[in-house]
Order: sequence, then C-alpha cells, then structure tokens
Amino acid sequence: MRLDALATAIRSKNAGPLLLTFDIVFPSDAAFASGVEAMERLREYVVRRYGRRDADVRSFAHPPSRAIKITIPRIKMSGSVGDTDVYGAQQHGPLLEFEL
Amino acid sequence: MSGFLRLKQAFEAGNRRPIKILGASGQLGYGIPTPAFAEGLGRMPDMIGCDMGSIDIGPNYLGGGRMAVSRDGAKRDLRKVLLGARRIDVPLIIGSAGSAGAAPHLRATLEILREIAQEERLTFRLAAIGADISPGAVIEAIREGRVRPMDSMRPLEAADVEAATHIVAQMGLEMFQTALLGGADVIVAGRACDTGIFAGLPMLLDFPAGLSLHLAKIVECASLCCLPGGRDAILATLDDDGFELESMNPHRAATPASVAAHSLYEQADPFSIHEPSGRVDLRSVTYAAVGDRRTRVSGAKFEPAASQMIKLEGARAVGYRAVLVCSNADPRFIAEREAILQGLDALVASLVCEEGEKDYRLVPHIYGLNGVMPEIPPTSAPREIGMVIECIAANADRALDVLRTTKQYLLHFGYPGRLSTAGNLAFPFTPPEIPAGEVHEFNVFHLMQVENQEKYFPVRYEELDYSR
Repeated sequence: MRLDALATAIRSKNAGPLLLTFDIVFPSDAAFASGVEAMERLREYVVRRYGRRDADVRSFAHPPSRAIKITIPRIKMSGSVGDTDVYGAQQHGPLLEFEL
Repeated sequence: MSGFLRLKQAFEAGNRRPIKILGASGQLGYGIPTPAFAEGLGRMPDMIGCDMGSIDIGPNYLGGGRMAVSRDGAKRDLRKVLLGARRIDVPLIIGSAGSAGAAPHLRATLEILREIAQEERLTFRLAAIGADISPGAVIEAIREGRVRPMDSMRPLEAADVEAATHIVAQMGLEMFQTALLGGADVIVAGRACDTGIFAGLPMLLDFPAGLSLHLAKIVECASLCCLPGGRDAILATLDDDGFELESMNPHRAATPASVAAHSLYEQADPFSIHEPSGRVDLRSVTYAAVGDRRTRVSGAKFEPAASQMIKLEGARAVGYRAVLVCSNADPRFIAEREAILQGLDALVASLVCEEGEKDYRLVPHIYGLNGVMPEIPPTSAPREIGMVIECIAANADRALDVLRTTKQYLLHFGYPGRLSTAGNLAFPFTPPEIPAGEVHEFNVFHLMQVENQEKYFPVRYEELDYSR
C-alpha cells in the first residue's frame, strides 16, 4: 500500500534554516504500527530519493501523535541565493508514493 | 501596581490557584479573529501573549530591517490586544517584535503602540527589551571560544560578524521575568524564544519549568494545535501538575493527538525543546482528553544546562535582485532546455560583460520540471513550463539591465530542431522583468555562551499616560 493511502498527513517544513523535517501522521494505532515497522526502510528511501548522506538522515517514532518524523539537512540554507523553497513546505512529494 | 505584581502579591499571601494564559496570536499582524479573542478575554486570563516573529520567513526582513507584515496590519492587531489587555489590566507580552526583532523592528512596533495609546487615551508602563548583539560582543565571544555553529554552519569568524547588517539573539524567559518584576504592564521584546513570552510569568509564580515551557511552546501558535488548526486565540489553564488547553473558537478541538502532533511542527526532534538555560524533555508527556474539545497535558521535565547559550541570528546584504517571469509550451524547447540555458548564460555574459569579469548571477527556476526539488528529476515531460529567472547584481539597475538582455536573447534563442521561430517565450504581462529589491542571506546562525542574559538584552521602561 502507498503511504498516501494510509497516512492522514504527509508534510515537510523547515526546522530552522538548515534542516528540513517530514512528518507522517497515521489515523490509528494499527496504521501507526505498520508505519513504525517500515520506518527504517522509509529512512533509507529518503536517503536514496533525496540524495542525502545516511548519517545525516534521522528518524523518530512519536507515539502520542501516531507520527513518524524524518529530519534531513537542507541543500541550501533557507532564503539563500539559489534556494527553491524558503519555508520547505513543498518537499514531501516523493514520500507520497513510498510503498509500505 | 501592575496586574502581574498584584497577582504575585496574592500568591505570596497564600492565595495560590491555577493560572490562565491566553495565546492571542502566533503571527501578530496577519489578523486576529475577534470572536475567539473576545471569548478569551471573557475568561479573565492572567496574561495575554503574542508571538510576532520567526526565522522561517527567511533572511530578508532581518537583513533589511523591515517588518514582514504591513504597518496597518500590525497596528490593527496591536490595537486589539492592547485594548483587551488594558481593559482587564493583565500583562500583554509580545515577542520578536516586527517579525525579526532587531532594533528597527522593535522601534517600528513601539512607535505603533505609542500611537495606539495616544489614540485610545491609555495609561500603562511599557517595557521594551532590545535583542541586538553588538559586533564587538560577538567577536569577543569568538575569541574566547564561546561561539559554536548550529547544524551545518561553519565556525563564525569576525568577518562574518562585520558583514552582517543586523545580529540579534533570541532572549530567554529570564528577560521577560525581569520586565514583569519591573512592573511592566506591556512588554515588547525584540528577538525572543517564543517560549519565553509565555513561560516567564508562570515560572515567577513557581509553576514547574517543564510544564510552563511545554505550555508556552504550544500556545505560542494559538489554535494551531487543534483540529482543525487555526489562528484563533487559545486558553491554557496551568496548575502544579499539568495544563489544560482549549481553543477559544468552539469549532476547533484540542484533542490528545492534535496537541501531541504540535510537538512535531517545525522541530527537528519531537522529544526536546531547547532553551537558553536548558532543555525540556518531552519523552514522558501524557495527553488526556477532557470532554470533546479540551486536552490535559502533563509530564514535561526541565533539565537545566551548566551554562546559558543564546542563539544568534544575523544576515548580510548580497546585492539586488530582478526577476523575469515567463513560460514556454513547446516540447522541443522543453527537451533542449539545459543546453539552451547554458548557451544563454554564455551569450548574455559575452554581451553584458564585454570588458570585464562577470558581475552578476543568473538563477533560473524552471517550474514544471525541477523548480521546487532540483535534486529529484521529474519522471515525465510537462506540457508547459513556467520560468522565473533571477538576476542578482551589485545594484538594482545592473540586475534589471542584465535581465532585459537575458529576456531578449532567450526569446529568440536558436536551438536544434526549433520550429517556433517567432519567439520562445509567453509573457503573462509586460514588462516581464521586475525589480525585487535588496537580497540578504543568513550568515550568522550560531550559539553563544553567556554568563547571564541581562548584559545583552537591555530593558527600557516608559510611562505612557494619555488618560487625561
């Protein structure tokens, strides 16, 4: 099943001007459990698709919100010349098609 | 006597009780919905707080000394919260004045407040707290080894400090406490930790630091932690064991999951909140529903740090920008775009820099292909592409001049297989090249260790008296 068929939120945003953070929120404990089970594979998918170093991609499971968080470095600092997304709010697209 | 000092006196006289904190706005100046704010005032909160700034809006406002919101928008919102706070005589606390919280932002915000005070015939004691850190103080800290980079920044050098147009630091809750103890009715702070706005007051009344800071982190975004999230005022009621959240808009619900999800928002790590004087550990936090629309939160623990660290933010000017807005709907052009843009770059340079070195930068953003995520190539070719081409040069005229030449030669650029020989570009309007003002970049984003914050964040008091 694709991630966007299961999650209720898949979003990206800056976490400060040098980091980008993805939140994937699940609708139920069962859905969250399947997300947590796939979390390491998802982290590796982010490493590959977004072209970041493995050591720079951190993942967290956050049970109270039934969410997974993945944090990666930005390629350019927010708002510097050549940046493409100052708030980092449109970097989540490739996550939608991740297969659980 | 200020509303806060009366409250403190009552606590000291043995009348300890839960306190109510109203988060009126997470982005003062973009509009505060009146019904929810009025409902919040009706609950008789013990303080009203508003956050006015963020680093997320990018370096331009800090570097250029401008507010991100319009003056009229800021004045409308400030009038609403100032009148509300004065009517029930409780502290109004505003952090990160004027979007970026440097001297020009603080000055502009104070000027608006004084205007409102005069127009509305108000009387109050105002505290203004500056957040600018002098280049000398930062350079001294660099020499003493007290500055270290955030995330992937390189170590700070004196030259970076000298190049920055403004350097601010995020003040902590301690500075808000100083102003509250100084009898302020209204506090306007330059750049500040958003938590400081709301956590300073409860901690002066001996509420636990972990709870106060966690509460602060949530209410600084108003009703964003609710379902559906929004900008309506939110009320937090704090006791010694936890706090309860309720949106002042009856159509928004603070649910355990929605409140918990807020600790994800714009945070690299959902289990920690970093403060100048320590860290809040959220690993043991519990969220419990109270009816359908309220949630009780408890369990955050504060771990004091051995030394205080304040976060520095600085931006420098890098030139002036002009932008060209145009598009193309020819599959042959789209297929050849990389070679076209490379050829164009060389051609323009040969025309506008005949006698010297290249003195500008051209940055194309090709929407429909890779304008948003350049590191991830598209899987299929779009029917049309939108282009924003930036030119950055030492002055505005030069940027516009280079861009005009760029436009003309892109319009008529020849490429293999070209059939549309009348012009490569669709312009949505003319002139399609637009001056976009001065360009700034963050060049300081570092932590600075300090003995105490008082030395860096001056508190100035002012008695406004227009009631007669």
